[in-house]
Amino acid sequence: MANTENTGKWGMVIDTDRCTGCMACVTACAMENNIPWTGEEEAGYGRGMHWIRVQRLWHGEYPEVKPEFTPTMCQQCGHAPCEPVCPVFATVHSEAEQINLQVYNRCVGTRYCGNNCPYTARTFNFFDHEFPTPMDFYLNPDVTVRRRGVMEKCTFCVQRIHKGQEKARAEGRPVKDGEIVPACAQACPADAIVFGDMSDSESQVSHIARSERRYQLLPELGTEPRVTYLKGGGYYGG
Amino acid sequence: MSQKISRRDFLKITGVSSAALAALTGCGPASRFVVRKPYPDMPEYNQTGASTYFATGCRECPAGCGLIVRTQEGRAIKVEGNPDFPVNYGKVCSRGLTAVQGLYNPDRVQGPLKQASRGSSSFEKIDWETAIPIITSALLKNEPSGVAFLMGLAPDHLYDLVAEITQTLGSPPPLRYSALGMFEGRTTLLQAVNNIFHKDSLPFFDLANADYVLSFGANFLETWLSPVRYSRAYGSLRQGIPGRRGYLVSFEPRQSLTSANADEWIPIKPGSEGLVIAALTKLVAEIKGIEGASDHSELDVAQVANTADISLKKLQEIAHAFASADHPLAIPGGQLASHANGLAATQAILALNGMVENLGKKGGLFLIPSTSVASNFSEIQALVSRMSRGEIKALFIHGVNPVFDLPSALGFQEALKNVSLVISFASFPDETALQSDYILPDHTPLESWGYQHVLAGADRPTYSASQPVVVPLYDTHATADVLLTALKESGKVPYQDEVDFLQQKLLPLLQRGGGFYTAPEILTFWSKWLQYGGWWTPTEGLEKPNGSSTPPAPAANVAELQEGQFFFVTYPTLFGDGSGANRPWLQETPDPMTTVMWNSWVEIHPDTARKLGVKDDDVVKISSPAGEIEASVYLYPAIRPDTVAIPFGQGHTALGRWAEGRGCNPLQVLNVQFNEAGDLAFGDTIVSVTPTGRSRKLARFESREGVYGSQH
Repeated sequence: MANTENTGKWGMVIDTDRCTGCMACVTACAMENNIPWTGEEEAGYGRGMHWIRVQRLWHGEYPEVKPEFTPTMCQQCGHAPCEPVCPVFATVHSEAEQINLQVYNRCVGTRYCGNNCPYTARTFNFFDHEFPTPMDFYLNPDVTVRRRGVMEKCTFCVQRIHKGQEKARAEGRPVKDGEIVPACAQACPADAIVFGDMSDSESQVSHIARSERRYQLLPELGTEPRVTYLKGGGYYGG
Repeated sequence: MSQKISRRDFLKITGVSSAALAALTGCGPASRFVVRKPYPDMPEYNQTGASTYFATGCRECPAGCGLIVRTQEGRAIKVEGNPDFPVNYGKVCSRGLTAVQGLYNPDRVQGPLKQASRGSSSFEKIDWETAIPIITSALLKNEPSGVAFLMGLAPDHLYDLVAEITQTLGSPPPLRYSALGMFEGRTTLLQAVNNIFHKDSLPFFDLANADYVLSFGANFLETWLSPVRYSRAYGSLRQGIPGRRGYLVSFEPRQSLTSANADEWIPIKPGSEGLVIAALTKLVAEIKGIEGASDHSELDVAQVANTADISLKKLQEIAHAFASADHPLAIPGGQLASHANGLAATQAILALNGMVENLGKKGGLFLIPSTSVASNFSEIQALVSRMSRGEIKALFIHGVNPVFDLPSALGFQEALKNVSLVISFASFPDETALQSDYILPDHTPLESWGYQHVLAGADRPTYSASQPVVVPLYDTHATADVLLTALKESGKVPYQDEVDFLQQKLLPLLQRGGGFYTAPEILTFWSKWLQYGGWWTPTEGLEKPNGSSTPPAPAANVAELQEGQFFFVTYPTLFGDGSGANRPWLQETPDPMTTVMWNSWVEIHPDTARKLGVKDDDVVKISSPAGEIEASVYLYPAIRPDTVAIPFGQGHTALGRWAEGRGCNPLQVLNVQFNEAGDLAFGDTIVSVTPTGRSRKLARFESREGVYGSQH
């Protein structure tokens, strides 16, 4: 049901069997979304601004020890714990894209949303981070550069969603499946990340999301995450 | 624009640089020069608020992926993969993505400099009109044998040009070196292919279609040969063919990212790889009933298993699975080549592929249809001794930072003192540039013309084309243009400028045809070459290896450790050959295995650490006969208890604000010893570990509370 309207239930599937943990998604996200670096000390305090991280959990004991990599970003919950706690409606649910938005110029920095996010997907600007000239030349003009005191997080590259929709509308056609990709999925060397319209049951992302290997993060919380993971590390017949 | 340049200054700067450019390159059609105008003078193809995309080639490592760079109003915004390019098919790694942080790095060398005395960091700005005659006289007035070029593995077009120049002048051919080439054992691999299959090309492993893969220290998901190509193939190995999941077994003493993704990681004893391969060969030959593996008949497999720290049962299981798989594949990596018997072991792996009959078959081993040449490490050593003897009068260095990325035991920096004239073409004030008389900066890759011949990652003959995506930011000049201008009056080289050289080099491709596009003449060909970001054939054209011979079984090479000694492993990271260390986002991207950012660490097994009495973040001293370094401990559960590891890339004393004074350089403890192919046998290094009693916290992404205490 691809459409020409500004709607679409955007979703993502991450195949952890393909994921190698190479971190290309992390860097791609930073380059696309004007994410500042914070330096050794602040990063060590956990104040790094990564919108996507690759969780690494060790399993087993030497020599049968093996890490599990899970790329984790804002899960764009359908029932988001971050939303009801914001006193100024900076953390709102968008009806058009059906994702969680962060309105930077409303945010007053209470950090309630970050506190309430079970996926610790939100990062807070404790400082104004500088891009020393000419490093600021590469800043993406489609994405706001955030200031101190503002919470931020993954947007599913909403600027790319809008660009794709505008292009399709200008050409008088529906958005094609796979036409809109966020920076992480675009870069991923192992093709582990697939993005698309979940309301179109024939889209690639919907097909893959029906895999027998599917699971979601912390499903017991009932957050209805919009990101589906596929199990790795073995053959599940699917 | 937030920098403080008045309009008058700005006009002055652009005026000067365009005048200099005209002087350098002569007159010609405007299209050959950089016409990507900055914001104040917007070119007609640009529209405010709309992006312009340029295809170009990545030069972050020798793999030569194709890129599409998004630019807006004259600025490079974002690096993306070229979806049509037959190496990376639209994908790109962390290094490639941060190319814009190299281009827009505030620490770049902004124009030609003369250093008062080497290492003084006291620079005087000169202009190109002064710089070029210095090169002219260095090239023409010296004995031809006293002129040497040391170059990196990228870009290829400059290497080809310099090779022509040195041939015309009668100088020795340029040497190429890259720390990445050393870590992947490129020369050893080439030599092994030559010995077994009698070809001068790199092998191509069809990982995507294999179903049982043995990797001996090939870190193909990180930096080995063509990491984006192999990462993509890894995805297909796992989930590319419905109903089948390829199996990966990795042998190496320290779990790399590739081993972490393997189904089985076998931490065999460093140096025992050759024996294990010989044992596997013997077992596979027995299972398949192959005669002629007589060289291995004496081998006691149980004894090998014992030496290598692997159970006999496991070794037999692996041999069985490998021999009975439909599409078995064995890959020899850099850690394998890094031992004294590295060539024999690499050859044995190639022969093992022949034994299971996967040569030239789906999921098997192929040869790249292009010839590769690499300088081996002993040639570099020969250059260093010639330098020490004062035989080198003029040394030109481009695309490599030998003071940093050669083992310090080789004595490059001391030998440099006996060279009369050292000219660096570096874009950054790196360690080597600071030991030079002149820095004549080249453009950074995103401002440059050029090509890279794809030698490892494409399944067909492929070139990637570089073109400037933005107007050069500073008063830098393409090194090819500088050399051509310096030699113009002598009439020794038949090229007008860099673009003329490139176009003449493309003529054979145009005449030969066979590419996926064609053109009646060179200018049309050139515009398509730039538009598509390179040239390749429409169908795949890998070569089937033949003439497989049975190589001698690799000899045993297992060192006995004394009390307090450890095997030493060093491996390349996101920083590539070390030049990535001045990109803040590569520093801030966590290491995949340890999640450490912004520093060096020593990986020590928790049991070993307990015996040494050290814990996380304690600083230890690592010493070998070659030198000593210090770093904080990271308790790493996936390393042999008798091995310690330090990543390569940090420990810069120059290069820029984000790289300097951070961590340590593990090449300072490597002994200079070679394998049979003349590659550095860095895997045979043995070190001792001494606690210093100090502690320095590592910034890690994991465990946000644990490291700095719960107060934060």
